[in-house]
Amino acid sequence: MPTVSEQELSLDFLAVHGLAVRKAAGPGAVADLLNADETAVAAIFDAAMAEGKIAGAKGIFMVAPAGQAWLADQYPVVYATAREDGELTAAYERFERVNTQLLALFTDWQTMPAGGQRVPNDHSDPDYDRVIIDRLGDLHERAERVVGSCSAAQPRLGRYLERLEAAYDKVLAGDTDYVSGVRIDSYHTVWFELHEDLLRMLGRQRQE
Amino acid sequence: MSHPEQRIIVLDGTDVPDRDIIGGKAWSIARMTKLGLRVPPAFVIPISECARYHENSRTLDDDLWNQIMSGVTSIEQATGRVMGDPEAPLLVSVRSGAAVSMPGMMDTVLNLGITDEVESGLAAITADAGYARDTHARFCHTYGDIVLKADLDPYVCGPSPLEVRDLVAADVGRSIPENPYDQLRQAICAVFDSWESARAKSYRRHWGISDVGGTAVTIQAMVFGNLGDESGTGVLFTRNPLTGESVPYGEWLPGGQGDDVVGGTHAVKDLTELARTMPNVHSELLEWAGILENEHADVQDVEFTVEKGVLYLLQTRGAKRSPEAAVQIAIDLVQEGLITAEIALSRVTPEQIRSVLLPYLAEQTVANVTPIALGEPACPGVAQGIGVVDPDEVESRAVAGENLVLVRPTTSPNDVHGMIAAVAVVTDLGGSTSHAAVVTRALGRPSVVGVGDGVAEGLAGKELTVDGGSGRVYAGYLPLESTRIDDHPALAPLAAWASEHCPVQVVPHTEGEVVDLDSVAQVLDPQTGRVDAQALMEALSQASGPVRSSVLESAEGASALLESGVTVVVADPALPLQLRLIQSDRP
Repeated sequence: MPTVSEQELSLDFLAVHGLAVRKAAGPGAVADLLNADETAVAAIFDAAMAEGKIAGAKGIFMVAPAGQAWLADQYPVVYATAREDGELTAAYERFERVNTQLLALFTDWQTMPAGGQRVPNDHSDPDYDRVIIDRLGDLHERAERVVGSCSAAQPRLGRYLERLEAAYDKVLAGDTDYVSGVRIDSYHTVWFELHEDLLRMLGRQRQE
Repeated sequence: MSHPEQRIIVLDGTDVPDRDIIGGKAWSIARMTKLGLRVPPAFVIPISECARYHENSRTLDDDLWNQIMSGVTSIEQATGRVMGDPEAPLLVSVRSGAAVSMPGMMDTVLNLGITDEVESGLAAITADAGYARDTHARFCHTYGDIVLKADLDPYVCGPSPLEVRDLVAADVGRSIPENPYDQLRQAICAVFDSWESARAKSYRRHWGISDVGGTAVTIQAMVFGNLGDESGTGVLFTRNPLTGESVPYGEWLPGGQGDDVVGGTHAVKDLTELARTMPNVHSELLEWAGILENEHADVQDVEFTVEKGVLYLLQTRGAKRSPEAAVQIAIDLVQEGLITAEIALSRVTPEQIRSVLLPYLAEQTVANVTPIALGEPACPGVAQGIGVVDPDEVESRAVAGENLVLVRPTTSPNDVHGMIAAVAVVTDLGGSTSHAAVVTRALGRPSVVGVGDGVAEGLAGKELTVDGGSGRVYAGYLPLESTRIDDHPALAPLAAWASEHCPVQVVPHTEGEVVDLDSVAQVLDPQTGRVDAQALMEALSQASGPVRSSVLESAEGASALLESGVTVVVADPALPLQLRLIQSDRP
């Protein structure tokens, strides 16, 4: 089964796509997402700014409505082969199943059962937290397989696994903000960027 | 030959060996039996055997296996059941138990010993063929998942044991043993193996825990809550974990077994039903729970099963509780003489105090008001603002100082900046585990999810009161109540003790000059929202006299403050920061 090699995709497209996934970011963060050269991404951002595809100030950019429309036109063409790739779509279905479990895990991390209701987790019970971190390890092992299959089809996606690994590693080392923290590259943040990336590539809609 | 070496320990209450020798789970069982409380019969293979197993090329030597068999015999004698006997089958649980629990260790396997024959026997004994089949299928799933490491989706009721067996065999190329003793041997080996799992090793490396040592294996009889009218299972909290009220609180499922409690497959009754049908069991349960609460000097969450009128305790642990209950219980336990004020101060977190102090809607305020949207409560708290659909618009208008509620069909990572800028979030779709729910909880933003298709957008432009605790959205700005520490019967004494024990003087106001650390240095990294400990430390070291800052209540902030030697801090309310400082000041 032939797949689109990421090398064949132009960085012009990928840089804007990467920015759409990260929402608001500088060229460095997008280059990191794509495993690309920062100066090349910065140059593309300058050009895309001039074309009105993206907007930004102080080194932080966002995709403009015109750029979102342009991306929407590009996706079915660029990812035509990927969308027909049985292995990739099967990996995506598996991703969704792991996703359901991960979301439940994030909720269990943030809240805890008390007398039949859920109350905010005060992290006073190390055993409760440890069981959840253990489950995260379990799901991380499943995520490794799923992202592995995804990146076999689209090598660029392998970068997400490195970022997930880094988040999981921080959690293990006791920096538990990296479970579901919002402003940092927590497991939840990276996972959701990957989710968004896959949804855009495969032309699917978010279920929740 | 002298005395044969004792390589298993029967947990019959004659002795409570050290936690470092038998692991946490067995220790807890031994402690309960020592207190004279009835728990299902059990024995433990101590931690020292784990190293011998690995030295012995990961095999159980004959002598150890024979002792394990004699351990099983002791359980058989105590229960009157026999492994593999369909007439009176003994099923056991197998658990890991290191001195310190850590990720990567094998989970519990329940109902080990079930086979096709035993399933038929169980169906006859319990007069419930569906239960017997589900127990068998569930066992195959758990065994496949954690002993044989098959990659399985979470268990759902439905598939037959044979289907689960095939699924496991197809994935790992090995079958689940049909013989109960083979199941037991493999499960014990899997527990010992898990000590050397990649995850456990990496955890030990991270925390500098020695690889020497190992895990114990606890083998315990399963008891049945589904053997006729005088059986069932339940949970008892020694006090109400939602309000803190000093009244036992719990759930009782007549005829329920194991996972039914969480599975919601049986109608849950409250404990008065147990008191009505089996008064002796009920009073024994209350008496034992009281013993456990005294022993642990904290509210206990006790799992129990009644088999044919005989009460067994399965587990006890410190009860998880709501913020309100945490405050009330801490005060009550001091007044009852169970703990000191100092311990009480370690049992309530700053976050819990913040939560208790949040503005709320009084019951009479909303008694006759119909909400304009109703969904699932995702993050507690009440907030008020104008509904806005576009997250970019929320962000730009919030900068100008407006209070806005993000109202959207769904949320994606693209909306996070809007969720950060909003005072509350409402979405059409999604449940309590949706992305919106996860992000709002991480941010502490009140949120209501799943209000129904198209409802959220209809809220745009309206003034809204969002109650994330009840899942209700009201039109307009309803009047809010707030709690004052000084007027609160439990917060007031806690605040007094906190002032007495806090290593730094924290005052709500002060005359004279106060250095605002937030304005003299960039103490918060704007990109990550995390405290810049170094910048904070420098600002603290330059301050002479009282300081204030928004970041001192964080763990990094508190340790920097304690290290700096600054003696007076201005914070209103003082209590959350005082608790953080008291708790950070302890080793």
